[in-house]
Amino acid sequence: MKNLLTILHIDWRESLRSPLWSRKLLINIFMGAGFLYLAGIFVALGVALDDILLKVPMDGIDYNTYGPSFVLRRLDSFLLYYFFFDFVLRYFMQKLPAMSIRPYLHLPIKRSSLVNFLLVKTVWSPFNLFHFLIFIPFMFEVFNNLDFAPALGWSVGFVAIVYANNFGLNYLKRTSEVDTRVYLALLGTLVIVLGLDWFDLVDFQSVSGLIFNQLFLQPWAMMVPIIVAAGCYWINYNYLRHNMYLSRISKSKTSEISYVGSGILSRFGLIGRLTELEFKFIWRNKRPRSVLLLTILFLGYGLIVFPNPDYAGNTLMYILFSIIITGMFMLNYGQYLLGWEGGHFDHILTRNVSFKNYYMSKFLLFVLISMAAMILSIPYAYFGWEVLFVLFCVFLFNMGVNSHIVMFFGSLNPKKVDLTQRTAFNMQGAGAAQFLVAIPILGFPLALYGLGILLWGSTGAVILLGVVGLAGLAGTRFWISLLAAWLKRQRHEISSDFRNQ
Amino acid sequence: MEVKIENLEKRYGSYVAVGIDNLSIPSGQSFGLVGNNGAGKTTLFRCLLDLIEPDSGFVSIDGQPTNSGEDWKHNTGSYLDENFLVGHLLPEEYFDFIASIHGISESDLKAKLAEFESLFNGEILGNKKLIRDLSKGNQKKVGIAAALLFDPKVLVLDEPFANLDPSTQIRLKELLKKLKSDRGVTMLISSHDLNHVTEVCERIVLLEKGKVINDIQTSSATLRELENYFAGVRSESEA
Repeated sequence: MKNLLTILHIDWRESLRSPLWSRKLLINIFMGAGFLYLAGIFVALGVALDDILLKVPMDGIDYNTYGPSFVLRRLDSFLLYYFFFDFVLRYFMQKLPAMSIRPYLHLPIKRSSLVNFLLVKTVWSPFNLFHFLIFIPFMFEVFNNLDFAPALGWSVGFVAIVYANNFGLNYLKRTSEVDTRVYLALLGTLVIVLGLDWFDLVDFQSVSGLIFNQLFLQPWAMMVPIIVAAGCYWINYNYLRHNMYLSRISKSKTSEISYVGSGILSRFGLIGRLTELEFKFIWRNKRPRSVLLLTILFLGYGLIVFPNPDYAGNTLMYILFSIIITGMFMLNYGQYLLGWEGGHFDHILTRNVSFKNYYMSKFLLFVLISMAAMILSIPYAYFGWEVLFVLFCVFLFNMGVNSHIVMFFGSLNPKKVDLTQRTAFNMQGAGAAQFLVAIPILGFPLALYGLGILLWGSTGAVILLGVVGLAGLAGTRFWISLLAAWLKRQRHEISSDFRNQ
Repeated sequence: MEVKIENLEKRYGSYVAVGIDNLSIPSGQSFGLVGNNGAGKTTLFRCLLDLIEPDSGFVSIDGQPTNSGEDWKHNTGSYLDENFLVGHLLPEEYFDFIASIHGISESDLKAKLAEFESLFNGEILGNKKLIRDLSKGNQKKVGIAAALLFDPKVLVLDEPFANLDPSTQIRLKELLKKLKSDRGVTMLISSHDLNHVTEVCERIVLLEKGKVINDIQTSSATLRELENYFAGVRSESEA
């Protein structure tokens, strides 16, 4: 027990000393504001939950039939969904603490302490805490409306289910982390449940109500989720106790990689070869790969606006969305341009490849992927030729102007990107530049568009974007040489920053 | 090619990491750098390779200061640490790339890699492991091989023997000696291992707190001399 507390204490200090805090003030303010905003939304949702549930049209569950408990009954009919979604969300996003016990494994600390540490640590995971932000305000209402025992039963039961989910997921993820079958099974279940409900084949709302109402109808029923949570903890404990070896925890996935020789791109000479290496980099690392997958996902982004009659002919919206559709990869990947290569920056500085060729290869990468995005977006012509026209002009603008802007911001005191970290919503490596880049990327084309409207009207303005893009493309060599000169000036600072991170 | 250090100084605050007035390493010399941790060996090499900016002075290779031009990169092979390796490539792919930027043909590359076979000891090629998944020692083998791949005229290695197994250490020594005698490569090698460095290098420079405190032509007495120095440093700090 004493050891467990000591480790928890050390762990706490680790988060206090996290490099997160030594980051630039600006980015911490941004992150802090974002966090407060989210927390505020959750609390507000919790406070308003009562009123929301009153307004939900639900026949049969009203005051006349059930008295003061009817609000809670309404909520209970959704809880099954709620906890199921919670589970799926956790599966995709909640990270298990594993590596943090590495420095303790060889010390004379009982294994049970280490196992308990790994499990206790998850108790204050944000994935548990956000439930409480929503439901603690709501629980006040519950205690107001019901007698003490039923209110307690429901509240304790709720908390227990949150933790049953937490530890249940922990176990599932520990035993099947890399198993895509679980992935598919979860998605499949989700689709089936939604389908069954949609076609009224199974009334999950009644089922959910039936289950969760027990918590306040028979307060002792709260023991069931408590036992389930404790059981999940115990299964985890047992599993970890017997599997706590470095090789199993860290699962260093050194899968076999096949040799990939030079391909078609090497016809572009050295620049092509560099771009090829970059493709390998993207494909062999999770985080950049997820950027690529996100790009594919965002190809569908236009479906939000192009078919929507509310936005019909709203060229401004079309432009904004087109910037994202054809430039998603460039914007997302390019903002960490040098940061991605923080691990081998000394190699970049000592090899006999000029910085011009270095940036050229990045540019070629952007062009190739944006071009692919452009070609894949051609079906948007279905929603009118105007859509395709805007897409194409914005594509030209992205290539000729935005690409260079992104490359510049990506070279502005970059942070080394830690490729071993998780991928979803990862802000590691972000600095002020990553926030500021949005201003010119969106602001410049919009200003240009505004200017064009004043001079030639809407169509002329879109053409202006395309023409400026072409002009930018024509000057590619010049822009690249500016970037190369910039990197040449900053190279020492950047490389020593990378080395010290 | 000659390597010349001229009035080089690198400070961190008031602490002088490297302060060398004049040091010239003639073409074809095998030059060893020894000194305790913090003596400035790696800092010196980083200044040489233009990875950090000295506060004053410069290092030149073949008369050209390394911090102004880039031509020296064609002739200089170097490996200091893992930052020189592209971790997401297979060793083969990395060698391919290095060969291609130096204009080495596929068949020449093959011949070259065959030379390293004994150094690799079957642990590098054809194992389908990315460089970042290799052990420290094997990463070092890849780095050293990549530095030698294009027949550089100048070779800079930081602690080449550390992390290597004894067999590889011996093979590496043979390789370095051969490079010197057959190709006249100018070699700059830093090491904590006095045995190895005195065996490979004809000249040893001893650094302490960034300053050259001894500059010796290697002889049978050199090892003894160095051992006495390092033993003395230790007893001094204990006293």
